[in-house]
Amino acid sequence: MTSHQEKRSGREQSSLLRVASVVLAAASTVMLAQPVMAADYTITGSSNTYLRMTRTINKEDLYPLYEYLRFSVTAAEKDGSATSLHLGAWGRVDLVDKSSDHYTDGDLQYGYLSYQAAKNNLVINAGRQFITEGVAADRVDGLYVRSDFAAGITAAAFAGSPVVTTPNYKGGDFIYGARVAQGKPGLYSVGVSALRNESDNARDREEEGLDLWIHPVKQVDLTGRSSYNSITDGWMEHAYTLSVAPIDAVTVSADFSRINYQDYFYNVTTNAFALAGNGGLLDPREKVTAAGVSAAWTPVKNLTVAAEYKNYGYEILGSADYVGGKVAYTTADALSLGASGHRMDGSTDRTRYYDYRLYALKKTGHTELGVDFYNVIFDRPIDGVKSSYALTGIAGYEFTEKLNVGGEIEYSQSPDFNREWRALVKVAYAFETKGGEKGGKSEK
Amino acid sequence: MKSKLLMLLMAPLMALLLVACANTKSGALIHPEAVTGTPNCTECHSDAYAAMNHQAVDFFKKHSVFATNARRACASCHAESFCTDCHAHKEELKPSVKYTQQVERTLPHRGDYLSQHRIDGKINPASCAKCHGRTNNERCLTCHK
Repeated sequence: MTSHQEKRSGREQSSLLRVASVVLAAASTVMLAQPVMAADYTITGSSNTYLRMTRTINKEDLYPLYEYLRFSVTAAEKDGSATSLHLGAWGRVDLVDKSSDHYTDGDLQYGYLSYQAAKNNLVINAGRQFITEGVAADRVDGLYVRSDFAAGITAAAFAGSPVVTTPNYKGGDFIYGARVAQGKPGLYSVGVSALRNESDNARDREEEGLDLWIHPVKQVDLTGRSSYNSITDGWMEHAYTLSVAPIDAVTVSADFSRINYQDYFYNVTTNAFALAGNGGLLDPREKVTAAGVSAAWTPVKNLTVAAEYKNYGYEILGSADYVGGKVAYTTADALSLGASGHRMDGSTDRTRYYDYRLYALKKTGHTELGVDFYNVIFDRPIDGVKSSYALTGIAGYEFTEKLNVGGEIEYSQSPDFNREWRALVKVAYAFETKGGEKGGKSEK
Repeated sequence: MKSKLLMLLMAPLMALLLVACANTKSGALIHPEAVTGTPNCTECHSDAYAAMNHQAVDFFKKHSVFATNARRACASCHAESFCTDCHAHKEELKPSVKYTQQVERTLPHRGDYLSQHRIDGKINPASCAKCHGRTNNERCLTCHK
């Protein structure tokens, strides 16, 4: 059934260095040329440093230090077009445990050059990027082009090398796809899309999809998509959400989804989601249908009261119901208060529980303090634990508009960790330099 | 052969013609006004952008459709790193760890998720596979041999 999914042979396929060198060369060129070629340019960047203090399930201390760097250069022309370069990467070193080969690691998250035209929403991207076009929600080292056409038609196409992790199965060598949509701004959009993912001798993924957004009146909004697996000849997923807002203060939402395991889990790269018979545990005959409804009421500005219900119906496993509600009060940059509670009522011990969350965060001047409590109470103890919880204290201080320092300390109990303490310290620095009048997006 | 060559020439010419006929004005590169917190887009917009109200109870469920239909609108406020914080290729820090102080956001995997992931994986493994089926799953190998 899944002959395309060959076991990993140990050949680690990575185009990281190639992408990094191309992007860095492009970055140098763009940066050197900025003041000359552009009327307005913006350079933004950020550094986020995190030090975690935690332990493994085997009680071994871990002190991983992470550094996240983000950087963008945008040159905006007078006619409204723009050329930009975007880079994001992280690196990690463990300050205590240097026993394994993996005590250091890192990743180039994205790195691409982008041209955005003043007309037709034309976008051309080249490099490592995250593509969201219908059935494609994939990170790709490659090329992406999108434009408006006449008669309300938009089209996008992409091609490149898929950026995947492959703990158990190969993820394919080449990916390409396209989406064509027709719509009327503010009223509707209907799109069809397809993607192919191939290796030398294997069809890794062949998917087609239909997506739609219908907004006939201000109060009604329907979104959704269906995706089809051409290799297994079956529907992978249908997922649709209908939102109705009869008055400004009330929103009612209904959602429906159906997943066919045989078709949906055909192309994974990890055993965790593999089907039985291919090294995994998921039953290929299983199908889950989820139908839910939620309602939210905003009696006064910043206060939301919501209730929700969802039923999961399984072809083999039975069914489960999830019901609950929440109250949230949030003012921008000042105060956040919230409480929620839900009941999960399934057919196994693990799927019969109550969950609760309480949180509060207050900003006063340059200081912020908060607390977040999350609790799951099982009907029957799991590994001797009936109540699993995590209590987190949060503190932060804004030294300047560019520099923030914060930290958190967490105390938790769970079936896996008994009375565990964890801590995290973070330092965030963001900068922005502008030439001309037009600004950019902060990397904060 | 002749007809194939003609097709190859005509296709890009037709595409160029359709692009030229579209002549739409591209969306704003930068949102005209700075937005903080979780915005209620209906406060200013009554057009299609109103549907993108981030405070709506179902915004989290629908955001993938907006990312397909209106990526440029998303990008007028959000830098690329905003998507990457969750939709990662290879990531070790959960969004709820990186942004603990953003308590109001719908960030996945709050609390001790090691225990909870076994439950969520039973309930709807497809919701996990969207982000971990092909990417960001190296750590699965620790237990899922």
